Amino acid sequence: MGHVATSIDGMELVYERPRTLTDTPMHYCPGCGHGVVHRLLMEVVQEMGIQEKTVGVAPVGCSVFAYNYMDIDMQEAAHGRASAVATGIKRILPDRFVFSYQGDGDLAAIGTAETIHTVNRGENILVVFINNAIYGMTGGQMAPTTLLGMVTSTTPLGRDAAVMGFPLKMTELVAQLPGAYYVTRQSVHTATAVRKLKKAIRNSLEYQKRNKGTCFIEVVSNCPSGWKMTPKESNDWLEKNMFPLYPPGDLKVPRD
Amino acid sequence: MIVEGAVQAGCKFFAGYPITPATGIFKGMVDMLPGRGGLALSAPDEISAIAYAIGASLRGLKAMTATSGPGWALMTESVQFALMTETPLVIALVQRLGPSTGGATQGAQGDVLLAEYCTSGGYTIPVLCPATAMECYSLAILAFTWAEVYRTPVVLLTDKEIAMTSERIDDHALCPMTAQDRPTAKAGSAAYAFEFPQEIPGFRPVGGYEKVTVTGSAHDKQGRLQKNSPETVQVLRHLEEKIRWREQDFSVVESDLQAGAETLVVSYGVTSRAALQAVVRARAEGTAVSFLAIKSLFPVPKKAIVKALAGIRTVIVPEENLTGLYRSVLSSLFHGADVRGVNKVGSMITPGEILEAVKEVQ
Ligand SMILES: Cc1ncc(C[n+]2csc(CCOP(=O)(O)OP(=O)(O)O)c2C)c(N)n1
Repeated sequence: MGHVATSIDGMELVYERPRTLTDTPMHYCPGCGHGVVHRLLMEVVQEMGIQEKTVGVAPVGCSVFAYNYMDIDMQEAAHGRASAVATGIKRILPDRFVFSYQGDGDLAAIGTAETIHTVNRGENILVVFINNAIYGMTGGQMAPTTLLGMVTSTTPLGRDAAVMGFPLKMTELVAQLPGAYYVTRQSVHTATAVRKLKKAIRNSLEYQKRNKGTCFIEVVSNCPSGWKMTPKESNDWLEKNMFPLYPPGDLKVPRD
Repeated sequence: MIVEGAVQAGCKFFAGYPITPATGIFKGMVDMLPGRGGLALSAPDEISAIAYAIGASLRGLKAMTATSGPGWALMTESVQFALMTETPLVIALVQRLGPSTGGATQGAQGDVLLAEYCTSGGYTIPVLCPATAMECYSLAILAFTWAEVYRTPVVLLTDKEIAMTSERIDDHALCPMTAQDRPTAKAGSAAYAFEFPQEIPGFRPVGGYEKVTVTGSAHDKQGRLQKNSPETVQVLRHLEEKIRWREQDFSVVESDLQAGAETLVVSYGVTSRAALQAVVRARAEGTAVSFLAIKSLFPVPKKAIVKALAGIRTVIVPEENLTGLYRSVLSSLFHGADVRGVNKVGSMITPGEILEAVKEVQ
């Protein structure tokens, strides 16, 4: 962190809230991944010294209140349209760092076409995709990303591929597109994972200076309330059940 | 109760996308339909949801979807397609507060005109508006009957307060009727055969014995795309005429008229419950006042309204929106009377507020 570390009661302060994050208690459920990702984004923004030059778009979904926490220009967008609104902003302000921050409902259900076209145009923005395999905000219904057999409020007997199709792997899909510059899948369920995600965010925002195409980060995340688990259970469940289908790692890295 | 009514009506297909305060209907359908030989599908958005339902209806199934304002906005292209192709369809529209994303957990009566006037040309889409859990049930059944018999999209307009409130009901009082079915086409007849514009053409399912083509473009009686041939214009007129001609059949109101009253309170939906309370209290205080609760917002039940207006000098229309949406529709019927609104957004109108308006007149 760029500024002076002080001490508290004789102990050295080694970690603190970045100044780019407001001092507002978050509304997220205990253990939810959203808060950690917010923090990482803002840590990177602070470390790069780009607070005044960063614009975010967070549409409806649990993170609709992101503007309360991220101390940068934050816009909401209609459901599914985050990357489209981000496109408009980036085209007019090409020197800004622009990102969209979307849930799997927003990005992989109602906004699927928007996502594919944004990446296909190679829009020079960062897309942060929080995949918790569920529509969190509306109370835990099946999303396109929901795992087979997973029980949600609209799949009371578990998701059946014969009726509801297969989990949609958006990240694999967009990695195929020529407009994608950097595509990676990360998570926030362990300290190591958090550090790796932070690196991915840093890379993406650095790449944005090169103007070479879309950076896309999927964050495999949890939803303790929607999954009806404790935070710890949800993190264990995530590793055991989400990772086989959504394995962490880079899908596309810049060649130049 | 909308779900109970729809299932009782014989609904066999539902497609939805979650949105507060309509998600309960989606969830209820997922829980109930499969066990009754039906199918409830999750769509990736509202545009798909309504299109799935149209597809199922084109095959002849009673079909439904449910949403709130933001989703309705996305559905309107397909609502017009259903109207143009005379495809029976019920859409439950559960209103929430405000434009755009609005307030998901706040009720409102702000989509009245958005629901009715969503077609280019302003075609009449029947809109039913229940005020109680029991009416959610009975009007859901009626919505299916209208959709089927008149081959039209029908909107079942509620709001967060009606759709998400738990109410005690007497289930013995639930009428065990089912909805009527759509008329079937005679073998060899044109896709949209009618002699008189008000006639309802017989329906022919896709995948049946006879070839079927359907187009949302302006078309002739055969269902073939045409520019503006006289027959195509006839079909466009027929789409409105089939509703207008039998306007009376669509009238559902509850009127409680008091002899000698010079004030009439007209209301609908959840607000009509507060209005009824206000009327009861006004009468207890010795004020004569008539009351009309409208359940079929469109086509406007003109006769019932004109009847209620006899001897009336002042009409009060309470509704939970800023500008008096339904009042603006009715005002031409109220000529001569002093028309006043009781309008509010953000919370329900109370009986006291309506009572105050009634008393102000005296
Ligand atoms: C057009 C429209 N349809 C539906 C909704 C209701 N809605 C709000 S958020 C949401 C899904 C949120 O899920 P996701 O994007 O996965 O984010 P999460 O809440 O899980 O973080 C839905 C369906 C809406 N606001 N607008």
